[in-house]
Amino acid sequence: MVWLLLGCLLNVAIALLLSPLYEGLLRKMRAAIHSRVGPPVTQPYWDLLKLLGKEDLRSGGGMAYAALPALTLASVLLLATLTPMGAAAPLAFAGDMIVVLYVAGMSAVLIMLSGMTSGSPYGSVGSSREMMMALSVEPALAVSLAVGALKAGTLALGGMVDFQAQNGPSVSMSIAGLAFFLALQAQSGKLPFDIAEADQELMGGPLVEQSGPRLALFRWALWAKQLVLAFLLVEVFLPWPRLGIPVVDLLASGLKVLGVLLLVALIDVVNPRLRIDQAMGYFMRVGLASVSALAFAVIGR
Amino acid sequence: MSTEHERTLAAVHQVAAERSNGSLLCATQPHSDTLHFVVDRSAMRAVTGGLVDHLGARFLISVGTDRRPLSGDFGVLHIFSLDRDHLYVLVESPIPADDLRIDSITPVVPGAAWAEREFQDAVGVRAEGHPDPRRLLLPDDWPEGLYPLRRDFPYNFRPPADDAARPKLAGAPAGASVFPMGPFFPVLEEPSYWRLFVEGERIVGCDTRLFYNHRGIEKLGDSVLTYSAIPHLAERICGICGFIHSTCYCQAVEKAAGIEAPRRARYIRTIMLELERIHSHLLWLGIAGHILGFETVLMQTWRIREPVMWLCEAICGNRKTYGMNTVGGLRRDLPDSVRPELLRVLAEVEKEVVAVREAVAGDSALHARTQGVGTLSEETARSICVVGPPARASGVAIDARIDHPYAAYDEIRPRIVTEEAGDVWARVVVRLGELAESIRLVGEGLSSIPDGPVCAEIKDEIPPGKIGVSVVEAPRGEAIHFVLTGGDNRPYRWRVRAPTYPNLQALPAAIRDGNIADTPITLGSLDPCFSCTERVETIDRRTKAVRVFSRAELLKMCRARAKGGG
Repeated sequence: MVWLLLGCLLNVAIALLLSPLYEGLLRKMRAAIHSRVGPPVTQPYWDLLKLLGKEDLRSGGGMAYAALPALTLASVLLLATLTPMGAAAPLAFAGDMIVVLYVAGMSAVLIMLSGMTSGSPYGSVGSSREMMMALSVEPALAVSLAVGALKAGTLALGGMVDFQAQNGPSVSMSIAGLAFFLALQAQSGKLPFDIAEADQELMGGPLVEQSGPRLALFRWALWAKQLVLAFLLVEVFLPWPRLGIPVVDLLASGLKVLGVLLLVALIDVVNPRLRIDQAMGYFMRVGLASVSALAFAVIGR
Repeated sequence: MSTEHERTLAAVHQVAAERSNGSLLCATQPHSDTLHFVVDRSAMRAVTGGLVDHLGARFLISVGTDRRPLSGDFGVLHIFSLDRDHLYVLVESPIPADDLRIDSITPVVPGAAWAEREFQDAVGVRAEGHPDPRRLLLPDDWPEGLYPLRRDFPYNFRPPADDAARPKLAGAPAGASVFPMGPFFPVLEEPSYWRLFVEGERIVGCDTRLFYNHRGIEKLGDSVLTYSAIPHLAERICGICGFIHSTCYCQAVEKAAGIEAPRRARYIRTIMLELERIHSHLLWLGIAGHILGFETVLMQTWRIREPVMWLCEAICGNRKTYGMNTVGGLRRDLPDSVRPELLRVLAEVEKEVVAVREAVAGDSALHARTQGVGTLSEETARSICVVGPPARASGVAIDARIDHPYAAYDEIRPRIVTEEAGDVWARVVVRLGELAESIRLVGEGLSSIPDGPVCAEIKDEIPPGKIGVSVVEAPRGEAIHFVLTGGDNRPYRWRVRAPTYPNLQALPAAIRDGNIADTPITLGSLDPCFSCTERVETIDRRTKAVRVFSRAELLKMCRARAKGGG
């Protein structure tokens, strides 16, 4: 029980404390490609601190609206405890990949709700885009995890990780990993898929009315989510080398996550924003392509 | 050539005579490229319609003038251009002071819609039969019946403010909802309010309110300033096209007064105008990238642009707002010492522009966001009288540098860049083409620049009652200045039309049936104007010591602050 609690705490701590650092590194890389110096790596921490110290202004009323930012961050932290990070997920017994998919979708739904209840036309257009994005990205995410489940013969993430670590790369898992990566690009709100927030069109979309501590929690949740999903990607699809020493494995995963996120950021800086219909068409094709991974998995490749 | 020119003149005279049906009051030719007709106001619509239908005349702008101190009446003047024939056609009607009405020409010349609303606001001559006679220029709380451009209206009069006043804007059609863009919005560099009517994300219509920053510049020009002070004000009309406006004004006065600027001054004007086009197009490309979320394009194009600004600073002491133009030529010569640096920087810029063009041309995601977006058909572009790159991207081959050669463009001839598609991508391609062309023109100008004085000596006073029309092809399209000289060392009437004026009128047509997501880039692709910043100069108020911070110092201060403050 103590180990379980400690494991949960570790995953939550990684998601909470390291996600601003990763964000800071990504910003540095963006700046380098822009020929800028860029803010210090610690800037996201200062951003959070500054926002948390500001006045709490609300454009909507009610308990639910008040609790939305905290709920969003909590849903991401719950996802962190269900995700393997260097070792098996601490709450693995509580749910398999189906639960992970649901929990991963929760934060998007909560952000959508906050946009719809904020009473701003930008918020409602942003929320409707968020919903359309979620509907087109989730299938790709689900199919790519299902490929892992089919290969390993289990719905448990731990089983999938072990199977992949022991059997090495395969055609089906490579295709599925690619689909998961593209879904990660969208789920972390990066270009060309930051369509719901679209600063230049919707001034932040669902989050347009959020400021101060509420905005800090939403931001934190989004950074944590991109980190946790990147961990999920490297654990399920790129678990090698797995030495069985938790500290080393965690360090290796952290480095791989950095590589994945830098790639995400690289795609972000060299692309313009797509329109929502173009993005939906894109993920329709990604979803279909990942079905071919299922076919490869069935024939054992 | 000359017989063809005479034939055109005869054709214009014929249309004016026939369409005015006996009420042609006067026909003169103040300059070789300007025809001036005075017709009775009852014939205005018929004559202007005839010019457009029979001769393909393009509407430029209207000028409403309060002439009560001169002749006891008002005047409404519509300016047209016959681009192929290098000719301006001015059609004017006297309006009796006790009956301030004239038939609107908007039903036959759609491009005149704003111009007519403007003289309605400014001098109070009503355009009868205008499809949308709402207020255009004046603030919403401006009292009815006060006309700022009338001669008896003091330039510094301030009517009481009324914060409760709201613009009269159309409601959404049934089934559509309102999506407001502005008056302040991230991608709008200036306040403007676009009220989009949307079904889901599809735009079914829009209404707009602009002119939030109207500064009353024309009023200052004909009430407070003098001929030689106005270039400095004209330069401040726009933060980017400053030199264009001061050149355009000076040319108009020079033309009205019969002053010839020296050849060398004309060459230097050409070089400065093209340098402005280079840095403006680079700036625009960056903004377009930013609007699409493509910040790398913004950062890189602005990095490429920066040395051009330093060149301008080396030439005249300022990145922008050069203070070089004056009536009769220039206040400052182009120093020979900058020539090698100019050529070196331009070669560098050209190389980088080619790299940017290659990167942009092959970017499929960029194509997805710009091709088939914000399309203006050639027909619409012509009827709304769109100018500049948006016109050329829709296949309307107009360019003031070719149609009405000024400065040294009669000797350094630009090649016109046109596209057919009329979408945002076509506007990108046109501007990229013009960038290369401008770099070539600067080089050509530098190599063939003649020696000599840069300013004509003006011995006589500028005679009153003369007309001068001048156009300059700004990066955004053609700018027009009209001057009617006055007796007290200042114009009696100075009229300015910036290129964004006609282009913004085309936006409703360009975004219709499009998507909310496409609206910012469509608006951006028209390149609406905005200001940019200068370096900082501080003055110690006690010691009067002036300290100028260099770019490197400012950069260091910025970074030190970012490090210290977090």
